Amino acid sequence: MIEACDISVAIGGKRIVSHVDFAARPGEVTAIIGPNGSGKTTLLKALTGEFSYTGTVALNGRDLSAMKPVEAAMLRAVLPQSTSLSFPFTVREIVRLGLIGGRSGVLPCEDARLPERALARVDLEGFAGRFYQELSGGEQQRVQLARVLCQVWAPVLEGRPRYLFLDEPVSSLDVKHQLIIMNIARDFARRGGGVVAILHDLNLTAMYADRIFVLHGGQLVAAGSPTDVLKDELIEKVFDCRLKVGALPAANMPFVLPQSAA
Amino acid sequence: MAEQSIDGAAGRVTAADGDRSTRARITILLLSLALALSMFLSLTSGASDASAVRVIRDWLTGASPADAALAARDQLIVYDIRMPRVLLGVLIGAALAVSGAVMQGLFRNPLADPGLIGVSAGSSLGAVAIIVLGTTWLAPVTLALGALALPLAAFFGGLAVTLLLYAIATRHGRTSVATMLLAGLAIGALAMALTGILIFMADDRQLRDLAFWQLGSLAGATWPKIGTIGPVIVLALATMPFLARGLNALALGEATAGHLGIPVQRLKYTAIVGVSAAVGASVAVSGGIGFIGIVVPHLLRLAMGPDNRCLLPASALLGASLLLLTDAVARTIVAPAELPIGIVTAVAGAPFFLWILLRKRGIVDL
Repeated sequence: MIEACDISVAIGGKRIVSHVDFAARPGEVTAIIGPNGSGKTTLLKALTGEFSYTGTVALNGRDLSAMKPVEAAMLRAVLPQSTSLSFPFTVREIVRLGLIGGRSGVLPCEDARLPERALARVDLEGFAGRFYQELSGGEQQRVQLARVLCQVWAPVLEGRPRYLFLDEPVSSLDVKHQLIIMNIARDFARRGGGVVAILHDLNLTAMYADRIFVLHGGQLVAAGSPTDVLKDELIEKVFDCRLKVGALPAANMPFVLPQSAA
Repeated sequence: MAEQSIDGAAGRVTAADGDRSTRARITILLLSLALALSMFLSLTSGASDASAVRVIRDWLTGASPADAALAARDQLIVYDIRMPRVLLGVLIGAALAVSGAVMQGLFRNPLADPGLIGVSAGSSLGAVAIIVLGTTWLAPVTLALGALALPLAAFFGGLAVTLLLYAIATRHGRTSVATMLLAGLAIGALAMALTGILIFMADDRQLRDLAFWQLGSLAGATWPKIGTIGPVIVLALATMPFLARGLNALALGEATAGHLGIPVQRLKYTAIVGVSAAVGASVAVSGGIGFIGIVVPHLLRLAMGPDNRCLLPASALLGASLLLLTDAVARTIVAPAELPIGIVTAVAGAPFFLWILLRKRGIVDL
C-alpha cells in the first residue's frame, strides 16, 4: 500500500502541488490524470522521493523519508517521462542497470537472463545488441521500461507487494505497444504488485485503471473508479473542454478505441 | 528483420547480444601486458647507456660485477633516477586517466577533464602559493605540514574548484554541461591569473622551481616524493572501483540513479574528493599534464563500452602506459636535453580532442 497524506510541493517558491491525499493499493492500477501543468509529474516525483515535499508518504507502512535509497529501490521502480543518456551504452547494458540496486526476485542464476526476458516482454526481442542512442523514441521508452521491470521483476517479494511508478509510459508509443505496455502494468497488478501511472489517454485510463486520481491546478479534485470519475461535468471543469462521455460520433466518422482490441 | 540487417551493417558491437564484458576483460589483460612492457622500456631506455638489465640481473643473481665503478654508476642511474621516474609515471598516468573517467561519469559528459575545467589550474594555484609564499605569508603552514604542505595545498586547490563548479553547474539535480565547461573556463582562467600574480612575486630561485609547473614534467621524480604522493594516489585510486556501479547508474541521470538505489549525494562527494586528491597529488609533483584524462577514457569507451567497472581499471592501465611512453619520447627526442612531458601530451592530445568534438557533435550536445 502506498499512502500519502497532505502532500504539498513547492518549486522555486511556487506551490505546484497542494494538500493532496493519495493512496495506491497492491493489486490495482492507479491512474493519475489531469491537464498539462496540473502537477501530476510533481506529485509522482514527491511519491518517489525525488522532490522534497511536506506531508507524509508511506510505502507498505514505512515512512519513505526514513528509507535509504537502496531500501526504496527494493520496493519500487520508477519510469521517468524521458531519459537522456550520456554515453554509448548498448540496450542490454541499459536494461542490466535495473539489476544493480534492487532485487529482481528471481534466482540469482536467472538474473543474467532477465534482461532478455524483460526485452521480450516489451516487444524488443533481438534488440539487446543495439546502441540505445540509435533507437527511436518509442523504442527507447520501452528499453527503459524493460530496465524498470528488471528492478522489480517479482511483483511480490517476501510477502510484500512492490510498486511500479510510470510517468506517461505510453506517450510516444504506437497503439499496439500502448496496449502491450498497459497489459504489462495490469498483469503486474494482477500478480499482487501495485502500479501508479500518469496517463493522458482517457480511453486507456478507463480501460486499465482500477482507481483514478484527478489533479487540477495542483489540487486533487476527484478520486474513485473510472465510472465514478469520468463524467461530463468533471471533464469539462478539469480539462476545460466540452466533451461527452460515451457519446458516439456521427455515423460516417471513423473512430478507434483501444477497448476494441481483441 | 530489417533492424537486424542495419545492426549487422553498423557492425560496431560484434557481440551480437550487446554484452561487451568479455571484450573488456581481454582489453584489460592486454593493457596489463602493455603496462609491463612500457615499464620495462622506460627502465631500460634513457640518455645514458646504463644497462638496467645488467643491474637487475646482478641484483637477482647476487653476482659481483666485473667493473665495480661502472656498476655503481649504473645502479645509481637505475635505482635513483629511472625507477622513481617510472613509478611516478605509472602513478600519475593512472591518477589522471582515472580522474578523467570518474569526472566524465560524474558530470555525465565525455568532455569533462580535470585539465579542461580548471581543476588542475586550482591545484597549481595551491601548489604555487606554497612554493612562493611558503617562506613568508604561509610559513606557519609549511612549518606545520612539512613535505605534505605542497600536495595538500594542491589537493585543496583542486577540491575548491571542483566543488565550486558542481555548485554552479548543477540545478535541480541536472548538471548543465555548457555551464560546467564555461564556468570551468572562467574559474581556470581566474586560478591561472592568481598563479600569474604569485609568479610575478617570485624570486629567481622560485621561478626555476615554477618553470615546470607551467608545462608539466616527470623530471623531478625522487623516492621521497613518491613516498609522499604515492599513498594519496593509491588510496584515491583504490576508492574509485567502489564508485563504478554508481557512476554507471548516473549515466541515466541523478534521479534515476537514486531510484535504482544509489546514494547519489555520497557518490558525488566521494568522487569529487577522490578526483581532487588524485589530481592534487599529481599536480603537486609533476605540474599540469593535460589530455591524458580525456584521451584515455575516450579511446577505451570506443574499444569496450562505457561500463565503469571495466573502464576505471582499464583507464588506470592505459593512462600509466601512455604516460610512460610519452615520457620516453620527451626524454629522448631532444637528448641530452628533455622536453617537458606536458608539451608532448598537449601536442598529441589537443588534435585528438578536436577530433572527438567533430566526430561526436551529435552526442555531446551543449
